Amino acid sequence: MASNRDDGIASDGPATGAGLVDRWTALDRGWQALALGLGIVAAHLVGQAL
Amino acid sequence: MTGIGEAVRAYLPGLALLAGGAVAATLVADAVPGLQPLVVAVGIGVGLGNTVGIPEIAEPGVSADKLFLETGIVLLGAAVAVEEFLAAGPTVLGLVVAVVAGGLLFAEVVARGLFRIGSPTSSLLAAGASICGVSAVVAIGRVLDARGTAITFAAATILLFDAATLVAFPLAGEWLGLTGRQFGVWAGVSMFSTGPVAAAGFAYSPEAGQWATVTKLARNSLLGGVAVAYSLAYAARSAADPGVRRLWAEFPKFLLGFLAVAAVANSGLLSPAALASIGRVSDALFALAFVGLGLSIRVDDMRAVGAAPVGAVLVHLLAVSAVALAAVRWLL
Repeated sequence: MASNRDDGIASDGPATGAGLVDRWTALDRGWQALALGLGIVAAHLVGQAL
Repeated sequence: MTGIGEAVRAYLPGLALLAGGAVAATLVADAVPGLQPLVVAVGIGVGLGNTVGIPEIAEPGVSADKLFLETGIVLLGAAVAVEEFLAAGPTVLGLVVAVVAGGLLFAEVVARGLFRIGSPTSSLLAAGASICGVSAVVAIGRVLDARGTAITFAAATILLFDAATLVAFPLAGEWLGLTGRQFGVWAGVSMFSTGPVAAAGFAYSPEAGQWATVTKLARNSLLGGVAVAYSLAYAARSAADPGVRRLWAEFPKFLLGFLAVAAVANSGLLSPAALASIGRVSDALFALAFVGLGLSIRVDDMRAVGAAPVGAVLVHLLAVSAVALAAVRWLL
């Protein structure tokens, strides 16, 4: 991970990705299901508005 | 490739296994009239899990089955007619509270008095049978500082009944001539873990599946209260772990998502086409989850369960399901 930081801006993508994965896996499964479910409903709301 | 890429790579084989099973279940159910795809999905999972087993590379992805189940339940909120559920709500809620409270006390008495099972195993069995299956066993085990072997023992007993009731309840419902609503509420208050309750409900009819899931969610929401009650009864918890925090920690958060989606769907914000599409996504997630549920049912593990816990849970199940059956026939 240290070498990624040394790479500067180009390495932010993977580092951010790893952070996102860590945050997601640290979430309670109930919150994960809630987020996924609401995300799917939100996508349908956006889809019908377009 | 780090982060998201690695995570996707780790989960992909298991997800492909679940998806393959779900597609196969749909094809089989389409080809054989009268077969429910979700039941076939469980059957395919049981068959695969007990013959070839789950390849090590597929384990991370397969372990996502409960997330799919809970997300499918959140989306099921779009299919419920809130007015209908509100009308029956007080009756169903009263039944849930009565069955959980009465069932817990009855299971404790039966396990300790009749089958001489010591605590905390008796309490783990009572919680598993009365609230929400294996997750209740684990939650109450954590509260009571139960040994890992006691938790494993109680969880295996509950899993054995999950597998048996998944088959027996829909057959019994057909034989008894229950309506979809009666069967759903009956399964929702009597059976143990959430996955098998939903699977048995949808095996009976889509209406039964909705009622079974909603009733089971109401039951699951009592886990926090039961955890607090047990911790007070055993006086095994530290003062630094207040009751309200415990209540919230054990509350199934996806229930909030289910309520939010039900509110959005019933507000008229979503078009019929969007509601139908969300229903299809929910069905697909249930199919993935039920293949995973089948994969988790291991016949060998169940052979190792002792006679005393099986006897105690069987007496509890027969008594509670008989009382619940009389209640749903009378009230619904």
